[in-house]
Amino acid sequence: MATSNLFTIKRTLNAPRELVWQVWTQAEHLTKWFSPKGFTTKVVTMDLKPNGIFHYSMTTPDGLEMWGKWVFRDVKQPEKLELIQSFSNAEGGLGKHPMVPIWPAYTLSRMTLSEANTKTELLLEWQTYEASAEEIDAFNRAFDSMTQGWGSTLENLENYLEKSNNFLNKIY
Amino acid sequence: MSIDNISLIFAALADPTRRAILERLSQGDSNVTELAEPFAMSLPAITKHLKVLEGAGLISRGREAQRRPCHLEPAPFAEISNWIEQYRKLWDTRLDQLEDYLAELQNPTLSK
Repeated sequence: MATSNLFTIKRTLNAPRELVWQVWTQAEHLTKWFSPKGFTTKVVTMDLKPNGIFHYSMTTPDGLEMWGKWVFRDVKQPEKLELIQSFSNAEGGLGKHPMVPIWPAYTLSRMTLSEANTKTELLLEWQTYEASAEEIDAFNRAFDSMTQGWGSTLENLENYLEKSNNFLNKIY
Repeated sequence: MSIDNISLIFAALADPTRRAILERLSQGDSNVTELAEPFAMSLPAITKHLKVLEGAGLISRGREAQRRPCHLEPAPFAEISNWIEQYRKLWDTRLDQLEDYLAELQNPTLSK
């Protein structure tokens, strides 16, 4: 099935791979770092095995609770974790993005941990999963630097044209 | 612009004809007849595309009765950029906090 481009994030973590794995896959650890400050993470289920589920919510400082669900596909301690992530609800059902319905319902997410001396290279990759053409397009477009560039280019163009017009109006 | 407009913007950008129209308008205002020219498409079909673009705030249309020139509006692109930026920031924040947490675990004598 067609899928989007990959969106990736990389970090070098100052910790051994085994520890990073534990901290990423155990509920007691996840609640300590997963949410931004002011938010709270609640873990309902953490069942780390193929087809197992991580069901959780993040509550904003304003009290808005957003539910997420991971279904694990590949669990290779301590080097690789692959899962399908989706928005969810309190019952663990499937949700769409609460505010942007065109956003892909399912995203395939891959975490790869590589040893680099005493440190760990973390590689995170995301792409759409079983998505419609529109969802794929939205995902690609969102992360496309051209889209981001275009916005600022057009604003610059508008500002420039406005300044040019004002200048010309002053002269004539 | 409210957040559910983001879906409208994405949907508007998903079509290659509409993207080509926007590309043309990025070079300057244009009217419907001029915009229709490069496509083997009827004026009503182009007008349909323009309605979608207008609905997403990507273009505005002048009021001159005969010509109704179309104008490209940059705000929706910035809106999508800002929206996706929040997602990147979420992960940046998470990973910053992960780093702090890992440091704390390995060095429990460190005081905050």
